[in-house]
This record gives sequence, C-alpha cells and structure tokens, in this order.
Amino acid sequence: MKLKEVNRTAMQAWSPAQQHPIYLATGTSAQQLDATFSTSASLEIFKLDLSDPSLDMKSCATFSSSHRYHKLIWGPHNMTSGERASGVLIAGGENGNVILYDPAKIIAGDTEVIIAQKDKHTGPVRALDINVFQTNLVASGANESEIYIWDLNSFATPMTPGVKTQPLEDISCIAWNRQVPHILASASPSGRATVWDLRKNEPIIKVSDHNNRMHCSGLAWHPDVATQMVLASEDDRLPVIQMWDLRFASSPLRVIESHTRGILAIAWSTADSELLLSCGKDAKILCSNPNTGEVLYELPTKTQWCFDIQWCPRNPAVLSAASFDGQISIYSIMGSSTDGLRQKQVDQFSSPFGNLDPFGAGQPLPPLQLPQQTTPQSLVLPLKKPPKWIQRPVGASFAFGGKLVTFENAKSQQQPGVEQLQHHHVFVSQVVTEKEFLARSSQLQEALQSESFVSYCQKKIDTASADFERNVWAFLKVNFEEDSRVKYLGLLGYKKDDLRKKITSTMNNEGLVDADLKETFSESDESVPDKGDEGHTMEKQFLEEGMNDCKQETGDLRSAKKTFNISVIGDVDGLITQALLMGDFESAVDLCLHNNRMADAIILAIAGGQELLSRTQEKYFARMQSKITRLITAVVTKNWKEIVQSCDLQNWREALAAVLTYAKPDEFAALCDLLGNRLESEGDSLLQTQACLCYICASNVEKLIACWTKAQDGNSPLSLQDLIEKIVILRKAVQLTQASDPNAVGALLAEKMSQYANLLASQGSIAAALTFLPANTNQSNIILLRDRLFRAQGELPVGQESFKFERQPIPKGQAAPVAGQMQRPQAPAQQYYQQGDSPPPPGFVRPAVANPSVQPPASHIYSQAGTRPGYPQSTLPATGDVPASQRTGPQNGWNDPPVLNRAAKKKVPDNFLPPVPITSPIMNPLVDPQSQAALAPPTGAPIFKTPHVPAGQPVLQGGCSPAPQSLGPCIMPPAVAKPSTEEAPGAPVGNAIQLVQALPTEKITKKPIPEEHLILKTAFEALIQRCLLSASDPQTKRKLDDANKRLEFLYDKLREQTLSPTIISGLHNIVKSIETRDYQEGLNIHTHIVSTSNFSETSAFMPVLKVVLTQANKLCV
Amino acid sequence: HDAQMDYYGTRLATCSSDRSVKIFDVRNGGQILIADLRGHEGPVWQVAWAHPMYGNILASCSYDRKVIIWKEENGTWEKTYEYTGHDSSVNSVCWAPHDYGLILACGSSDGAISLLSYTGDGQWEVKKISNAHTIGCNAVSWAPAVVPGSLIEQPSGQKPNYIKRFVSGGCDNLVKIWKEEDGQWKEEQKLEAHSDWVRDVAWAPSIGLPTSTIASCSQDGRVFIWTCDDASGNSWSPKLLHKFSDVVWHVSWSITANILAVSGGDNKVTLWKESVDGLWACISDVNKGQGGVSAVTEGQQNEQ
Repeated sequence: MKLKEVNRTAMQAWSPAQQHPIYLATGTSAQQLDATFSTSASLEIFKLDLSDPSLDMKSCATFSSSHRYHKLIWGPHNMTSGERASGVLIAGGENGNVILYDPAKIIAGDTEVIIAQKDKHTGPVRALDINVFQTNLVASGANESEIYIWDLNSFATPMTPGVKTQPLEDISCIAWNRQVPHILASASPSGRATVWDLRKNEPIIKVSDHNNRMHCSGLAWHPDVATQMVLASEDDRLPVIQMWDLRFASSPLRVIESHTRGILAIAWSTADSELLLSCGKDAKILCSNPNTGEVLYELPTKTQWCFDIQWCPRNPAVLSAASFDGQISIYSIMGSSTDGLRQKQVDQFSSPFGNLDPFGAGQPLPPLQLPQQTTPQSLVLPLKKPPKWIQRPVGASFAFGGKLVTFENAKSQQQPGVEQLQHHHVFVSQVVTEKEFLARSSQLQEALQSESFVSYCQKKIDTASADFERNVWAFLKVNFEEDSRVKYLGLLGYKKDDLRKKITSTMNNEGLVDADLKETFSESDESVPDKGDEGHTMEKQFLEEGMNDCKQETGDLRSAKKTFNISVIGDVDGLITQALLMGDFESAVDLCLHNNRMADAIILAIAGGQELLSRTQEKYFARMQSKITRLITAVVTKNWKEIVQSCDLQNWREALAAVLTYAKPDEFAALCDLLGNRLESEGDSLLQTQACLCYICASNVEKLIACWTKAQDGNSPLSLQDLIEKIVILRKAVQLTQASDPNAVGALLAEKMSQYANLLASQGSIAAALTFLPANTNQSNIILLRDRLFRAQGELPVGQESFKFERQPIPKGQAAPVAGQMQRPQAPAQQYYQQGDSPPPPGFVRPAVANPSVQPPASHIYSQAGTRPGYPQSTLPATGDVPASQRTGPQNGWNDPPVLNRAAKKKVPDNFLPPVPITSPIMNPLVDPQSQAALAPPTGAPIFKTPHVPAGQPVLQGGCSPAPQSLGPCIMPPAVAKPSTEEAPGAPVGNAIQLVQALPTEKITKKPIPEEHLILKTAFEALIQRCLLSASDPQTKRKLDDANKRLEFLYDKLREQTLSPTIISGLHNIVKSIETRDYQEGLNIHTHIVSTSNFSETSAFMPVLKVVLTQANKLCV
Repeated sequence: HDAQMDYYGTRLATCSSDRSVKIFDVRNGGQILIADLRGHEGPVWQVAWAHPMYGNILASCSYDRKVIIWKEENGTWEKTYEYTGHDSSVNSVCWAPHDYGLILACGSSDGAISLLSYTGDGQWEVKKISNAHTIGCNAVSWAPAVVPGSLIEQPSGQKPNYIKRFVSGGCDNLVKIWKEEDGQWKEEQKLEAHSDWVRDVAWAPSIGLPTSTIASCSQDGRVFIWTCDDASGNSWSPKLLHKFSDVVWHVSWSITANILAVSGGDNKVTLWKESVDGLWACISDVNKGQGGVSAVTEGQQNEQ
C-alpha cells in the first residue's frame, strides 16, 4: 500500500531507528536530470506523518546544496550523547567528496549545516555504509577500487581496509557485516565482491561467479547470519540475486531469479531476515525470502524503474522507493485497502509535469502508463509470510481467579533451509499479591467456622492499634455476650459499680455535687428510685405543711379575703389556698408555677391527677432550662427521640448510653440509627467515624458499611478486609441475637461482599470467596459472581453447565432459536440485567424459607419437591384469587379451593422451572412460556372445566380426575422429552414436577396433609384396601374404588385445613372405631357428625365414608 | 501467539503460527486438549472468549486476514462465522462487554477496525472504521460497560445509558479512543505519547471508581497508563509506567484492575501495581513456571 509520495528525483535516506519522529532525507540525484534540466541541487528532509491520511509528505526543511548526490545515508552517530540530536547525514557526492551534514540543523533551518567535508575520493562516491556496531565508522567506495573507512570522530584522515583490489574498478556497493564489526564487503559492477577484515587490513575472501556475468548493483549482508550475503545483478541477461555463504564461497548458495530484467537495488530488512526487497528494470518491486527464494510480495508499483529502495529502520513495515520518473514513494509492506488513496494517485498522474519522462526532453508521457491499467491494485495480496515484527513472542494475560497465563516462544537458532522448530510454552501461574489480606481472610473464616466470635473479637481488640479500632471491636464483641446493653454502657464508660461509688461519695460530701453532666446524666439511671424515696418523704413533709397551712388558712380565711383585692402580689399563698379550697388544682398549680414554687406545683399536680401532672411536668421542664432537666425530661416523658435528636454531638456517648439504658427493644435500633445519622451528617470527621459504633449497636449493617466507607477512603484490599471483618461479625451477631432475617442483603452489603469475594478470587481463593458471598440474594452481580466462582472451581458436572446464562432469555419468552444459545445479542443482555429488578427465579426459594414453620414436616411429596426451587406453602385461609396467584406469586395459590388451586400450581412451577434445556437447545421452545401458553389452553381447558363445576357441586367430582389423566399422554411427549435430571424417572414426584401441566393427578400437586391428620387418610385407605381384598363381587369393588377416589375430597379439605374442629375430632373418633373394628360405632359417629355439621361442609366426603364403613361392616374386615 | 482463559478460568485457548487454535481444559491443574480448531490459513494471532451468556464462543484472528468465530455445540467446536472483510493481517480481536450484546472488534494491519455485531439467526452486521490507524492497528480493547464512578454514586436502579467505547493502538504510534454515536463509530480521542508502534492497549476493568484507565505499550519499550477522571471522557493524561529496554508486546489487567502484567520482548513478564501515592511499582518478575504456584507446561510444536 502506498502511503506517501514525493515528487523528487533524488537519493533517499531514512532517519536512523533511534530518531523519532521519522524523517526521510532526499538529496538531488547525480547523473539524472528531470525535465527542467535544472542542475541545482538540494537536500530536503520530509517528515513521515502517518496520522495524516493524505499522500503528501510534509517537507520539513530544504537546504540548497552545491552538490548532487550518488549516495545518501543517515547514521545515529552521537545521537545518544546529544551532540547530534538527529545523528549525521552522510552524502556521497559527484566529485569524490564525502560530506557530513547535521540533519538537526537542517530541520532547524540553519545555514551552517555541514559538519565536515572531504574530497578524498577520485571519482563519484557511489557506496556508503555505516557500521552498525560502531556508528562512527563509515565506509565509502568510489572509482578505482577506492575504499575508505572514515571515523566520524576524527574525520580528517580516512583509513583503508587494505590494498586496493586489482584490477581497479568502480566500487558500486559497500556493506558492513551485521554480526561482526570488523568485516566489510565491497562489490563492483564487474560482479566481484570482496570481503575485508579490518583487523588484518586485507581482503579475506573474494566472491565471484564463474562466468563473470554478474553486474553487481546491490550487496547486502544477512542480518542474522554472519557468513551470508546477497549480491544483485544489474545485467539484464542475468537478473538474479545470489545468496552466498562464505563458508562455501565457490558458488552461490542460492540464486533467486524472480526478476526478468536487471536488478537496480536491494534492501534486506533488519527487522525480519526473511524479507529482501529488490527492484529492477522490469519495473517490479519484489519482496522475497532470500532464505528460500520465494517471492512473498509484489508491491503495486508503476511501470517505472526504481533505482533506490530502502527499508525504514524504525518502522519495519515501511519502505521507500525512488523511481526514475522523479518520484519517491513510500509503501507499507502490509497490504491494505487502497480505495481511499487511489483517486488521488490518479489525479496526480493526470496533472502536468507530474509525469514527465526524466530522460526525455520534457515531453509529457503518454497516459497509457497509468497504473491502474497495468496493475490492478485492488487485488494486491499481502505478504505471503507474516513478518516477524507482528508475531508476538511473549504475552501474559490475567484470567479469573488471579491466574496469569503466560506464553513464550523459546528462541531458536535460525538456520537457512532448516525448518524452524519452536517450542511454545504456556504457563498458568497463580498471582498472589495480598498475603496479609489472605491471611486475615482465612482467620476470619476460621472464626466463622468455629463460631469463636468472641475470641476473634478479643484478638482483634488486643491487636488493634488505634483506639477507635479497639472500640469498634469491643462493641462487636459485646454483641455476642450476655446482657449486651449493659456491656455497651460499660464500653461507653458507665459502670454501675463505679457509679454507686460515686454516688455514695457524692452523698457523703454534700455540697460537693459534681455537676459534670456525665455523671449526673448517668446517675439518673441509678438514682431514680432514690429520688422516688426522697420524693415521698418530701411529699409527706409538704402534705403536713399543707395541712398546717390549710388550718391556718381556714382560720384566716376571712382576713385573706379581705386583703385579696388590695394586695395581690403580697399574698400568693392566699390565692393558692383559695384555689385549693375550691378544688381548683389547676389554678393553684399555675399560681405556684408562676411564683417559681416548683415543688409546690408538682406536689399539687400529683394530687390533681395524671393529666395535670403531665402538664405540670411539661411546664416545669419548659421553665427549667438546665441541661440536666433535658435529660430528666427525657427520662420522665420517655421521649428519647428528642434527646437523640437534639443532644450536643460531643455528648454522643451520653446519648447513646441513655438510649442503651432506657430505650425499649423495639425502638432501640431506630434510636441508635438516628444518633448515628446525626453523627454522620452533622459531626466532624471524628464524630462521623463514631457513628459506626452507633450502627453497630443498632445492628445496622448497611449503614455501617456506608459510614465506614465514607470514613476510610482508599480502596486497598486491607481496608476492605477491615470492613468485611466487621460486617461479617456484625451480621453473625445480628443472626444470633435478634433472629432477624439474615438473608436480607442490602445493596451496599452486596456490593461490598462481592467486591470482597472478587478480591479473594483474584488472589486465587475461590472457595473462600464463595463462602463469603451471601447465598440468598437476588442482587444480580452476586448471582453472577457466585456462578462464576462456582464454575471456576471446576466442580460442576459437565451436564449442568450454563444454567445461569441461558436462564434469563428463556423465561422471558423469547423465541429461542434452535441454533442454540446465540440469542439476539441485545435482548438477552437486557433481560440479563432485569434479573435484579423483576422477581427472579431464586426468589421463590425465599418464601419457603421464610416460613418454614408452616410447612408440615415433609410428606414425601414435598421433601423431594423442596430440592427444586421450592413452592412455598402457606396455611393462610383461602383467598381464592386464582389468576392472580399465577402472576403475582405463589403464596396465594396454595389457599385456593382445591381444584383451582391445583391449576395454579400447575402453572407456577412450570413457568419458573429452572430451564431444563441445559445442554440441548431443542428443549428451549418447550420451556418458553409463550409457546407454553399456547400449549396450555387446549390441554388445560378440559381440566379446568370439570373442576369448576365440582367446586359448587362437589359430589359430582368423583369421576373427574380420570378423565384429565387420560389426556396425559397426548401432552406428555414434550414434557417427557425433558430429561428428568434430578429424580429417577419412576419417582412420582419427579414426574409430578415435570408433568404438572399435563397430569392433574391428585397425589402429585397437592400439599401434604397435616401430620396429625395423616392418620385419617392412612386409616381410611387401609380400610378400603382391606375391603377390596375381601370383597368378591366386582360391583362392590367398583364402589370401593370410587370411594377411595372420592375420599380425596376429604384429604383436600384436610390439606386446606378448612374443616371445623368438631368434624375433625369426629373423624378421628371414626378412625379409632375403625382401629377397634367397631364399624357400627363408626357409623354412629358418622351419623352424629352429619347431623351436627353443615351439610355443604361434609357432603363431599361423608356419604362416601358411610359407604366404606358400611361395606367394612358388611365384609367384617 | 496468544493464550486466553475463558470467563471462569477453566479453559485455555491458545493459538499459534501452526494455524491452529487449541482449547484445553485446565481445571484442577490438569490439561486436556478439548479441541484443535483448524480453519485459518496463516498464523493465528489472537483469541478471545465471548461472555458465557452467549454460549461457548471463541473468536480468533489470523494473518490470513480472516476472523473466525467458533462455537461449541453439543460438545463439539465448529466454525460459526468467518469474516473476510480485511485486506491484511487481523492482529487483534476483542469482545465487547456482554451488556452490549455479542460484538467483536477486530483490528487489522490494513489500518481498519471492524465491528461485528450478532444480529440473530447466524447473521452478523459489520461496521468498518477505515483508516483507523495508518499501516495497521495492533490492538483493540473495550471499555467496561460501567459508568465511571458508579460505586460512589448510589446505584439508582435504572440502567444507565452506556456509551460504547473502545481503545485501539496502531502502527501510527497512536492510541485512539472510539465512541459510538448514533450507531456510528467516531474517533473520540487521539492519545499521543508513544514514539513507536503501539503494540497493545488494555482498558482496565472497572471496579466502579470514577477513573477510567487504559494501559498501552509500545515498540519503544514504554508502557503508559492513561487515566481520565471526568465523566465525559475527554481529558486523558498519560503516566509513564516504565521504559523497558525492549519491545513491550502485551499488557493485561487483572480482573480487579489493580495489577498490570507487562510482557516484554526480553521474554520477561513483570507485574505492576499502583501504590497509594499513585506511583507504579514492579511487584514481581514472573519467571514463567517458577514464580507461579502452579504451572501448566505445554509443549506445542510449531512449524513455520
């Protein structure tokens, strides 16, 4: 693919590999004229800007030179030292001169760009090469076998590699060996190549074809193999590239004859020794593998010859070719779409002067040379062999579970002609970076397993470095201890014993009352009874005084009245007395309050009844504004919310203590929360962290996480570990102490736990990660992670694979293509995530778990069903909302009237059956509820119809069930096709669940009869069996069979628990009589039941029972 | 040339110059060859596992200009789709986050990036970004389907509107970020720091932090960590992780995005971790097979 082009007839040199960005230097070519016949010369530098999609190359600098060039090379000399930022550009001129330019200066636009210049050679300098090992060494070759070795550090005097070869001839190429620094090769048009050893200062070998028809135009050493080189011949009669191995220098190792006319230039890629470029007079640019001779690539060139071709040292895929039509083209060896560029190319060709014959007299070339006529570019094939530089030799990728997959290609020695044998190794390593994290995690796990929470907490307390940390752990520990509230108080600094001591000392030193809020505050807890006592004594005193007063007052009544109008202020006592006398406690209290006679007021209020007392309390508190009052207020009015809401946050400990002491269990958590909230929202950072303690007291895991996360920024694994340790312990505590539903997993907790599990997994502890993941949650991320972890353990049987991911699309009723799991990409993705929103299948497990007590201890039917996504059971009274039960959830369904109920059951498990089509996609459509819905009505209709009738007229039901059963087979095929993966095929329950839709047989879909009533069923059934055994005539047998079936209605009622206790007890009595074989007695009881109970309640089964009992009596079984 | 574990870390897919793609079961430290997939006519450069919600699907890309999508059905692996829309070697394949559906990004030496989206019924829709990287794209990597910062902002419950993005690196020394707008892929950012071919790019998996992170490595031996803090994704700043003495071929993030594995031309793999102060430090040299706890060695013979 052509990348760029420049209209110059020039020699070219790429900037060295070290140079960035990449430049291309062009120097006006000697002995070539363009159509202008201009003899001026210039040195130009272009920048290769690959981000610019256009074909133009930006010229960075132009330097008008007095020389024209035969050869141009660019070396990295002094680049690293910084002396020459862009190395040195070395030019071979027409007049035997070797000129050194500083490209950095050219680019900068300096005029003094020549570093040095020597005219040592006698003829034009056609060959130049830089030693790759010592970049200060440059070899030049010119006419008359002249070879000089220039040291750029002391440029003045060149050396010679040895005595000139004879006969004297032009040196057309020169090249340093790529492996051995002191070996140099030169070649001349005569076809002879000479290899020089600079240490010996003499030619060590001469290579030449016997027939001497080689006309060397190119010479290149093998980039990797020291003894090999190629020579290219310009002669049209022998347009070959010869590969020589100096170990066998009598004839070429290989001759590549891919060009049809003489080869003008070659270039061997240093990046990949299997890529050799050659361009010839057949106007082709070929890339071949010199080791095999195979042509790998033909560049889409024009018809013009190229006389110079160069690989870009830095960008191995890029090469440049200079052609005689005055163009330097830059190509990529990697084939590519050319569409975008071709138009432009064509434009350029049709423009004047762009296509002038460089040798002609300025005549425009005939347009027949347009490239698209000769080379169909769109069919360009890429390089047949992948270049080395795109072969990744090494790599490492992380995989789930902290695994690191690394691979490498062991380097192998390349030998020409020998097939490479490479060994590839892939290693899987476990990366463990967080040792401490893992250690602590395993400690935590141990603690969890051994349930030694207290000691774990204690250990944490002992090792905790920060006070706060110690506190938190202490709080957590308390959760596991008896009498946690008291201990909490202790942790907050309040111990009853201490307090008592303090109080006694305070009592002893009256007047030295420590007003410190803390003590007083907590004192309240202890001193309430004391106060009460004091209150009593005081009351007595007051009462006595009051009595005295009364006496006085009655005595002075008149005088008091007299003074009333005169001096109101003076005699409040009097007024109070009056009020008291008139029984107006309220006014009396008001008066007392008004005069700050608080004690009086309260005493009076006590007398005045509860209402007045509380009002007085309010007023009292309203007036008394001391801190202690607030507390007393709260204690008295039990308004702890107030305290929590309004206390000074610095006193959070006190508030918490108060809450701990007084709050009722049901509001305790809320209050702690509230306090925590306040601390978090209003407090400074220190207090915010203390909020954690409140949340611990409140056992509020979610809040604790939020608060903790806020306080501890940073995401390091250890801080996460810190948090998780606390959370896990707290959750355990909550489970132990409060028996609240530990399965309720909040979003934050889920997030943190999954983060933690992820981290564990990334350290390779997949099993540990699994144990920490909360099991019962519908948080999609956790479910996904669980699944991933689970399978990463590699323990799943193959058959169960991918239950998670195919599950979603299927229940959603998407048309599952038979092609399998390749669902429409968009839709499953959405469904996948909706999992979290809509009640997911796992949710069904929950109701069952939530009220396990309701479940009768597992009749065999249920116990097996329980292993699947269970059906919840409920003993709530029937609501009868059948259709709703199918949609909203399973609970209602169980309480419906028996038959309809069955219908509901049929639907629910089917819809939510975990997709069985685990391995076979064919199954998908069956589970698809839509198709199922389509399937259901026809089959369901007869089933539904019959039951509807009996709901009202139960007697008719007897014959109904066989009918639907007979429908079974026609529906069975699809259902049966689902392999029953969990139960043995014969097991009734397995069928029950697989075939629920098809077979409404009683046994299958009902919930169990309560255990205490199970005896009824067994007894009746046994009785019928006995009768059947002894019955001789078929009619009786039929009757008994029928009865057996009809008794199902009784069992249904038992299941529903809708029968009245009297009937139930009567039935039990019947059973007792059956046990004693006293059937007559049984019949008597039967009559009694029928006569005393509601007919509609018993009509479904009592007549049948009578038939059975009668038969039994008759048959004397 | 590549070895990738599947989503669960139970299966290993490898590909090499012998034109084969092999799948091994590596559960419990074992190594069982499950499948040897033939279909490429050149060296296979890279393999990529699709998310298991779409089944067991593996994509491979090769020098033969083809991308092949393999699928396991009933225990056997078969070619399910072959994409031949590139004019040159396809160097990199990467599946989009599963939230977007089944989308594969392919970077090729022809400079183009193709996006293959499964549209159902065995059909794939192709979108092609021509001239994404002049003279070749070497690597593609998808951005995670998570809104940056989702951990800190409380999940609102509704699905955020994801913008599909991926990053690519190429022979033009550039790292480019592409973004889908109205169904069209547009170049969003051009990150310049490398002075030679970008050999690999890797967008770090998101753990919900507000920062997006990309690692890029280059022929020039440099590994850069690019970070972007703002939600719009406009300002990326590079940080030099290290300058190696040789080509760096591959970078890979750990699942939790805190460790970067760097594979260099000297056949060394090093692990890097960002310290609290934001400096990257080499935490380990992985001497293959020796440093690791478990080592599965596999001698694949390869003829070229």
